[in-house]
Amino acid sequence: MIRFTGRRIAAALLTVLVATTAAACSGDDGQPVAQDGPDVLRVLAGSEVKDLEPLLKEAAGAVGVQVALTYTGTLDGAEMVASGGADGHYDATWFSSNRYLSLIDGAPARLSTQTKVMVSPVLLGLKSSKAHALGWDTKQVTWADIAAAAREKKFTFGMTNPASSNSGFSALVGVTAALSDAGEALDKTQIAAATPKLKEFFSAQTLTAGSSGWLADAYAKQESVDGLINYESVLLGLEGRVKEPLTIIYPSDGVVTADYPLTLLASSAKKDLYGKLATWLRTPDIQRKIMTTTFRRPIVPEVRPDQRFGSAQLVELPFPNRRSAADELISAYLNQVRRPSRTLFVLDTSGSMGGDRIASLKQALSTLTGADTSASGQFSRFRDRETVTLLPFSSHPGVPRTFTVPETSPDPVLREIRSYGDSLVAEGGTAIYDSLRAAYDTVALQPSDGDFTSIVLMTDGENTDGSSYDDFAAYYGTTPKNVRTFVVLFGDSDVEEMGKVAALTGGATFDAREGSLSSAFKEIRGYQ
Amino acid sequence: MKRWIGVGLALLLGGAVVVAIVLGGGGNGDEGDAKGLTTVRGVIGSEKKPFFDDPQVQAAFAKHGLRVEVDTAGSRQIATSVDLGKYDFAFPSSVPAAEKIKQDRKAARTFSPFYSPMAIATFEPIADVLTKAGVVHDSGSGYQVLDVKKYLDMVGKGTRWDSLPGNTAYPARKRVLLTTTDVRTSNSAAMYLAITSYVANGDDVVNSSAQTAKVAETISPLFLDQGYSESSSEAPFEDYLAMGAGKTPMVVIYEAQYASHLFAGDGAIRPDMRLLYPSPTVLSKHTLVPFNDNAAEVGRLLQEDPEFARLETRYGFRTADPKVFAGLVASSKAGIPGSLVDVVEPPTYEHLERLISTIEQRYLASGKPSS
Repeated sequence: MIRFTGRRIAAALLTVLVATTAAACSGDDGQPVAQDGPDVLRVLAGSEVKDLEPLLKEAAGAVGVQVALTYTGTLDGAEMVASGGADGHYDATWFSSNRYLSLIDGAPARLSTQTKVMVSPVLLGLKSSKAHALGWDTKQVTWADIAAAAREKKFTFGMTNPASSNSGFSALVGVTAALSDAGEALDKTQIAAATPKLKEFFSAQTLTAGSSGWLADAYAKQESVDGLINYESVLLGLEGRVKEPLTIIYPSDGVVTADYPLTLLASSAKKDLYGKLATWLRTPDIQRKIMTTTFRRPIVPEVRPDQRFGSAQLVELPFPNRRSAADELISAYLNQVRRPSRTLFVLDTSGSMGGDRIASLKQALSTLTGADTSASGQFSRFRDRETVTLLPFSSHPGVPRTFTVPETSPDPVLREIRSYGDSLVAEGGTAIYDSLRAAYDTVALQPSDGDFTSIVLMTDGENTDGSSYDDFAAYYGTTPKNVRTFVVLFGDSDVEEMGKVAALTGGATFDAREGSLSSAFKEIRGYQ
Repeated sequence: MKRWIGVGLALLLGGAVVVAIVLGGGGNGDEGDAKGLTTVRGVIGSEKKPFFDDPQVQAAFAKHGLRVEVDTAGSRQIATSVDLGKYDFAFPSSVPAAEKIKQDRKAARTFSPFYSPMAIATFEPIADVLTKAGVVHDSGSGYQVLDVKKYLDMVGKGTRWDSLPGNTAYPARKRVLLTTTDVRTSNSAAMYLAITSYVANGDDVVNSSAQTAKVAETISPLFLDQGYSESSSEAPFEDYLAMGAGKTPMVVIYEAQYASHLFAGDGAIRPDMRLLYPSPTVLSKHTLVPFNDNAAEVGRLLQEDPEFARLETRYGFRTADPKVFAGLVASSKAGIPGSLVDVVEPPTYEHLERLISTIEQRYLASGKPSS
């Protein structure tokens, strides 16, 4: 008993100490994590719950709990919790589901009380004209019907990457369970058997993303696809933000539903604080607020979903109960099922990149060639069938070098990419825009045939040579404008100008100035 | 992995102890507090937490000079991995777990103040479909039963909902399977295992290793083929109440979970909801194992004091005097039977544990279990 008590106290002290360290980490809005304090509940969350922030602010006044949210991806978060990495840094987790997490060895022991807060199924939202043309606005639709229309190229859709985001993972499980026609939980055999059908289904996916929120924003900006597979809450939330309303399809053969369990970590000493917040979130008033402001279904029976949620009976599809099956499914999706990726890396090798910085870059590239053996590492590696172009630059754009990872036995090509990365040398100036333009020229020379094409721009400083941002913007206007640039901020990046590049091309920026370059590269993989 | 469960749980449970030390209380459980109450600490199954948290229950203990503090853990964990040295009593939800603890701790006696039969929460259209399929029928005593033998036959054939004749109410492609919690961690699933193993063993309580191996073949798919299952009894029942038949057409619960909502009249049980009883069923006998005299007094009060019996019944538990429960059933017009006919005993701790371990191994195996 004394041993455990002592251990508990040590952990509590550590909490205070790590609060300073934790401040170095940051939420995705760049705000430092709140300091720990007696009223602060530190929550490691999926970005899906970001829309609850305004409501959570009320918790301070209502029940005296200050909620400090730090966001992470599904798999990264799950791995962090399972390995004990969240212990002492966080008191609770709040992901859209604990299912994948619970399948990891050692994870259940890290979790204490789980409180479901709200519910949202993963569904297909389709532009109403398209839904009408397909006859899906008036009759019952199954995933098999949707797969048939996808095979016949009758519509396109966007979905998040299942390795980065729970909505993509839930959709993948649901679609596979439905198309495999298995009556029970999926296993490896059923996944292999369903792969050809999944390929047909996902041939219609032409937009991908690392998070549900980003996917919805990208859709609202361009409406470049006919619909989205996403949480019902996200689809309902798009109303008013899009030109053409979405018809929500409730597949009659089943769905996978997120239940957002606020989960106390076993290592946390803030059991009471957690209890206050969890109880408050389930009071009828707050449940109603959650329903009306975030479009999620209430979890308490006293509050019934309003008419927006429709009356269709949602059959829940069985979810895998073994991690091996879940991982196999993600791997099959990335390496066999989805359209291949074409990825160009525009990499700064100017003189300022010397020393640690070029070493970080080499490590980050190595990470993507499979050197990171964690599940999230394996799911972020260059995929089978992917075409990877590395375009190093300094005072001028270098010669682009292209590798194609084969459908089987990817290792030799992955090793080639790694050794090419290892041969990079830092010297010279920084011709950012000449080089980025060279990347777009390279894309134009290789017609894509529907691959997911994107560019990663990594630079550690300001543009010193060649054309300017304005020159590039003018040039970009002459391209088909369908290739996004994801910018990695590193070293002394010009944050404002890099933000402009991302906004211009519909991409995003990823900050590796304080975190690791490898992590930023891994995160971008969700968007490629 | 087992070791980690132990350490993780101990860390969690240690939280309460640290608080007590900071407040100046002792760790032995027999020191008085500011109000002159003697604190008694227990580790209990989570479904009894709302009862112990109830201010009226706390006030009733205070009348007798006691303050009861509880931590929760699964009954199987209480019997195996929880450090019981920190507690004055253990209060698991089943007799097998209590017997094991009694033996290990050489406790002189146990108290079984209340119990709850295992039941199945479902919906009228689902019950109708299963009636047509011959799996559900009227008991003749005012309640419907699910014939476990016929249900096992149905599962053995891999029957899907949409292949049931005349089923327009729930034409799902998925298999007909009762939703349970994770049998590796949760007592309610273990009680369901007790029921199904009895039937699969030719209507006899499993009492040998040979029977365990044979019975596991039939009953493993009941758990494994469901796919992911939750670790606490509240979670699937909550899905049933909030999300309805789509997610959870039928769920194995303690009768008390359903009855407590009916007694409270909180509207959670809607008109199309139905409570069935498996035939046979088992009783989840909540059994308190005291490690000292104060804890024995807690057990005695819970078992013998009429005020406690009244409070326990409000939480849907049945107590020694059936009139208390029956009175509440009558006053709340809850359609719950006064007594059940077809009740069997669970296996001993050793055999139940062996059955669970056998199923656990099938989770670890990468291949598909026989089904």
